[in-house]
Amino acid sequence: MTELDDLITATEVTSQELLQAVKGFLAETVTPALNDRDQFNARVAANVIGIVQREQALGPRLLALDNAAFRKWIPDGSPDQDVVPQISQALAKRMIKPDTAFLDYLKERQLLLSAINNPRYANRAIAAEKWRYLTTDTDSASDIR
Amino acid sequence: MEPEALAEHLNLVLEGLAIDHPAGTRVTNLTRLSGGANNETWRFTWHETPLILRRRPFSAESVENLDGNILGLSLVDEAHIIQLAAQTGVPVPHIYTVLETSHPLGESFVMAFIPGESIPQQWLNASAFSAARKGLAYECGVALAQTHTVDCSKLPQSIKPLTLAHRFNGIQRRLQIFGDVSPAMQFGLNWLIDHAPEDVPCVLLHGDFRTGNLLVHEQGLAGILDWELAHQGPPAEDLGYLCAHVWRFGNIEKPVGGFGEYDDLLAGYSSIAGWAPDLKSLKYWEIFAALSWGLVCQTMGALWHSGSGDIERAAVARRRSEAELDLIYLIDAWEAG
Repeated sequence: MTELDDLITATEVTSQELLQAVKGFLAETVTPALNDRDQFNARVAANVIGIVQREQALGPRLLALDNAAFRKWIPDGSPDQDVVPQISQALAKRMIKPDTAFLDYLKERQLLLSAINNPRYANRAIAAEKWRYLTTDTDSASDIR
Repeated sequence: MEPEALAEHLNLVLEGLAIDHPAGTRVTNLTRLSGGANNETWRFTWHETPLILRRRPFSAESVENLDGNILGLSLVDEAHIIQLAAQTGVPVPHIYTVLETSHPLGESFVMAFIPGESIPQQWLNASAFSAARKGLAYECGVALAQTHTVDCSKLPQSIKPLTLAHRFNGIQRRLQIFGDVSPAMQFGLNWLIDHAPEDVPCVLLHGDFRTGNLLVHEQGLAGILDWELAHQGPPAEDLGYLCAHVWRFGNIEKPVGGFGEYDDLLAGYSSIAGWAPDLKSLKYWEIFAALSWGLVCQTMGALWHSGSGDIERAAVARRRSEAELDLIYLIDAWEAG
């Protein structure tokens, strides 16, 4: 590999890196210059970027989980439309029996969603410990703060 | 509305009130307090009297499809409820004046400023408040029992008794309006319908009695804030709501609001009411509270999509997953016995 090849690789700025850059800018440059109310919102904004970063990392697993649940519990559904509302609607019509397998799906789903939206939520760690028999490992992505 | 314009309108309102002030007094120290996703809360000084203004900055018509009590009462009705609660001994601020929607300030009211700490993170763990925390669950029980003794015949028209079935229908409709995006909330609603209590008494509830709406000083409870979600329902609902996981601010092992124990809450309640709901019924309402919080988060997302509110509101929409996790966790624990 030539020096030029190295340079080309180094110019590839990923969306994760862009988000990290914006988050850093908000925290280090913007926030200290603002009034109290806007400082609060700037901290919220930095947190929001963290959500997007974690969703980039964990979103594909959530999608796969929902699609598998859809195939299992709504075999005659419409796979070309959003699957999650179809699951909710089948529940509302009492067409899904909320047995242990379905509850396990919901548990895995919520562990993933919590890891994306608020990994520091106190009950997440407690639930993750109680439900450790599930395969979900969200700790690596939820380290993104 | 810019703070300068707000202050000018306030000057005109305050000149007509019986609050001691020399001629030419002007509003000073006008500061918007953070928190409060539906209404603005401003603190200011009028001569030597610290006061609070609560006003609704947006038209509720922008979300007219979202019926139910998620958005809360009109501020006029909220003020009315606070005045009724004061009469039964609940620690609430004195209300000086109530302004209708047609007023330049919009729908709003001016009330006394009660000294105390309203930000839970400031009092939940600080040693200066350790004595306050010790008696707080009992005091909350007392305040809730006092609230529940308000004569329901005096309530504004907007606070009608509702059956649980009616409320479940409203929740189901809202889940559909919001796009059926949450299997966990639908699962939770189904479970709550299947386990609903029967023949429960109907009283005035605060409706949002949680740690973040308590005003605490170093001796204990100083005031109960934010009555905008007041409605009629069973007494256990208010008590279970205070114990919801989401309002424990990380102190999960302290079931009452992250600071107290069930027994103290129920003892305080019983000291006024002569009875108290059982623990099982509190836990049912903890689950109900998780669903309610999820709906509030969805409403915040809907409001933000309609162009109302700043980034905080968008971020709160994502906290729905906390409510969903709690729903699944609490139902799982209930079923396990």
